[in-house]
Amino acid sequence: MHDNKKLPAVVLADRIDAVIRRMTLGIGWCYVLLVLVIILQVVLRKGFSHGLIALEELQWHLYAIGVMFGLSLAQTSDAHIRVDLFHSGFRTRTKRIIEILGILLLLLPFITVIFIHSLDFVADSWRINESSSAPSGLPWRWLIKGAIPLSMALLALAVLSRLYREIVLLARGE
Amino acid sequence: EAADKVLLKTPIAFGTNLPALGTTITWVADRLDKVSDGTIRMKVYEPGKLVSPPEILDAVSSGKVNSGYATAGYWQGKIPAAALFSAVPFGPEAGEYMAWLYYGNGMSLYQEMYDTAGYNVHVLPCAILSPETSGWFSKPIEKPEDLQGLNMRFFGLGASVMEKLGVGTVQLPGGEIFGALEKGAIDATEFSQPAIDTRLGLNKIVKYNYFPGWHQQATIFELLINKDTWGEMTPGQQATIETTCMASVTNSIAEGEAMQFPVMAEAKQNGVEIRYWNQQMLDTFQEKWLEVAAEKSAEDPFFKKVWDDLSQFREGYDLWEANAFLPRKQAN
Amino acid sequence: MEANEILVIAMFLSFIALLFTGFPVAWVLGGIGIIFAFIGQWADTNLDTFTGLDFLTLGLVVNRLWKIMDNWILVALPMFIFMGIMLDKSGVAERLMHSMQELFGRVRGGLAVTVTAIGIILAASTGIIGASVVLLAVMSLPAMTKQGYAMPLALGTIASAGTLGILIPPSIMLVIMADQLALSVGDLFMGAVLPGLMLGALYIAYILVYGLIKPHAAPVPADAKPVTFGVVFNVLRDVLPTLLLIVVVLGSIFGGFATPTEASGVGALGATLLAVYNRKFNLKVLKDVVAGTTNTTAYIFAIFIGATCFALVLRELGGDELIESFLTGLPFGPYGIIFFILGVIFLLGFFLDWIEITLIVLPLLAPVISALGISIDGYGVVDNPELVWFVMLVAMTLQTSFLTPPVGFALFYLKGVCPPGVKLSQIYRGVIPFIVLQLVALLILVFTPELVLWLPAKAYG
Ligand code: NA
Ligand code: NA
Repeated sequence: MHDNKKLPAVVLADRIDAVIRRMTLGIGWCYVLLVLVIILQVVLRKGFSHGLIALEELQWHLYAIGVMFGLSLAQTSDAHIRVDLFHSGFRTRTKRIIEILGILLLLLPFITVIFIHSLDFVADSWRINESSSAPSGLPWRWLIKGAIPLSMALLALAVLSRLYREIVLLARGE
Repeated sequence: EAADKVLLKTPIAFGTNLPALGTTITWVADRLDKVSDGTIRMKVYEPGKLVSPPEILDAVSSGKVNSGYATAGYWQGKIPAAALFSAVPFGPEAGEYMAWLYYGNGMSLYQEMYDTAGYNVHVLPCAILSPETSGWFSKPIEKPEDLQGLNMRFFGLGASVMEKLGVGTVQLPGGEIFGALEKGAIDATEFSQPAIDTRLGLNKIVKYNYFPGWHQQATIFELLINKDTWGEMTPGQQATIETTCMASVTNSIAEGEAMQFPVMAEAKQNGVEIRYWNQQMLDTFQEKWLEVAAEKSAEDPFFKKVWDDLSQFREGYDLWEANAFLPRKQAN
Repeated sequence: MEANEILVIAMFLSFIALLFTGFPVAWVLGGIGIIFAFIGQWADTNLDTFTGLDFLTLGLVVNRLWKIMDNWILVALPMFIFMGIMLDKSGVAERLMHSMQELFGRVRGGLAVTVTAIGIILAASTGIIGASVVLLAVMSLPAMTKQGYAMPLALGTIASAGTLGILIPPSIMLVIMADQLALSVGDLFMGAVLPGLMLGALYIAYILVYGLIKPHAAPVPADAKPVTFGVVFNVLRDVLPTLLLIVVVLGSIFGGFATPTEASGVGALGATLLAVYNRKFNLKVLKDVVAGTTNTTAYIFAIFIGATCFALVLRELGGDELIESFLTGLPFGPYGIIFFILGVIFLLGFFLDWIEITLIVLPLLAPVISALGISIDGYGVVDNPELVWFVMLVAMTLQTSFLTPPVGFALFYLKGVCPPGVKLSQIYRGVIPFIVLQLVALLILVFTPELVLWLPAKAYG
């Protein structure tokens, strides 16, 4: 498990991160809800021989929301897995430059591609008012698909906050 | 003027290792190459390698891939009427289905459906599966009450019918059916034809295999081609693909009809109970299906349009059907 | 060599090179995918390739991402993580440590055996390697130091026992493997039980033998008390609730009462009830568990998302065909190819971890294995027995990747909680015998597929 490593303070970035953390930690409660939904489904299925497809689908809806918005939480708490072998030995300045270049050349292009293409993806779903393909499944599929652009936008915000923090710290020589 | 070469990147819905479900497209890819003297090539991507089956329509329409091979029943969450171009409960057998498609309004409605829903695809029926089985049960089903409370894997419009009879239906992917059935997560399942179900090993767990497949008497598989790609092809290339797909329809029926009985005979030897639904059950399924069709027609205008047209065609066909054919061999 | 083959190799090498910059693995994967998509597009016009890659094709990443979200198998993953973190906070392990220590008190190496036994129990109730390693280290390292254990033995025991959870079900690695290869989660869970227990047994045997040969390395405490009925009773009392949880979760999957997803939810609730039972439950704990679950699930899925982009582009560059034709072209025979593949995975395990290997390498290998034509007779009742067996071989190999430096997560976690005096080299030295034991176990599995397939077959019988 990764503990939240405290990054050096930078006022604006700290504020943005705090907002993102509060939001995503709130969204994280969907996992508690997921436990309850699964238990309810087990009780209905085993106790009353009647599981509900809608509950089955609600499970992966909740899981998907937790996963997608959790990305931003992991970003602000610097929890994404790194290969530490050489990294831990680099000078702080080198680390900052790596982080800045990585964000600009690898991460932001990746987020941008997903974000742009997800807009069409959600729009299509909205246009045809897509619902589950199971007869008694959940309607409004565009709603859960909308989690992709929204979570990517939030992740971009978290990443830009980190970028700003690294640039400021680099300039300050910290 | 020499035609430009076309490469159709084609993600598919069922693995090419599955007879009929997957082998048909391998046949198409092979023939296209030969018939077109190499100017049309098709690269087949196994399910999920490029994109997963339910995403094929979206991927072809947006041009992320230029073609795809699936069955329209997959899109019924996006377009309710799509299920009618996949398999219709108590619907037409292959001959009648083709008659409606090619010589009735079927093909124009099929294309119109995608156009109205805003999908940028050109559709071609490219295989028909002969009847599926009605499913595998752990106990005999003699009356509608026997279905009450079962959890069952079921596909397409038939699932709504089963729901009306108190069955909880899920749509598991083929690979998970065996495990779910074994572990009791589901009590019964349908998947496909005997030759395919055997591949999944269903006969190892549940012994009562019911026929006829009232929910899928014939199943159409479609080749979707991105409309821009289609438009850029020469008339000769378009005709080559159309003709190859029509040939594939013939080939798939022949393959499907030929491969079931040896498998069924072997299953019978291994203790599988091959049962034919009694009249009461068939009547019940049909009654519930008509309710479902009426509900779906009320919910979706295009579903109604297709359903009415198909029903009208079939009413006319009845006169021919009732007089033209010899009675079938009885199962029991 | 063809231009696209050069691109495939360049893509792999860039990935490995950028990995060592220390930028997050997930984003390296995703970013390299994007960059090589554009390189592929450039190559199509300037070199003689036909990748068909461009900005539009990259949109498939969204469709693939959606299939990660719309996935009922993977729902089990955050639930098992929730269960693990909750169990970590529930105080169960401390009670076990306390009572079991007395049980093995008079045996040479008894404390190390206790650690391994608790490792097995933790493994069977969760699969969170980080949590297990940290928990075992915090609980037992001071005690082992005080008793005068040789540092490498103590460290090796903790790291290896803590990683058992990735193999012994429930295991998030096996959930992901089942998803990637369209196998049944239940089959993989059942298949892993005996190999996992065998590995645990090998550890214990090694510790006991080591204690006999080098008594100074694993001493008996001076104040060891005899094992009384009371001691045994205490152990039973403390182990019973956890065993009950294990039986409920694994038993319901194996017995066919529940799907793995349902069992994971029941397990999450069960772990919470255990915390309540041990008076460790409050709102703050629940908040911590929610935060931990959200974070841990997210960093695993980030790699999923990055890897799906990487794999898509690699495939379009022709990477699949290249690897498949290379492997099937090896002049080794079926078993030789399997050993070669396992060897490569073992080597990859030095700098990649199980998530990347499972997501990128494993799907490339499945068709190769199916094409080898190895058939394991007598287990026809199991769906796809050859692949289940092969997956277990890979799982056992990946188990070692946690312990192999330089990138071994168990080692990182352990180093993180050790007192400052402990050197990384001591940890490295300590895990070597356990890595060897894992390779021995792997060898046994290669030649006794029964160990994997007997239990799943039994369940269907
Ligand atoms: Na585990
Ligand atoms: Na390693």
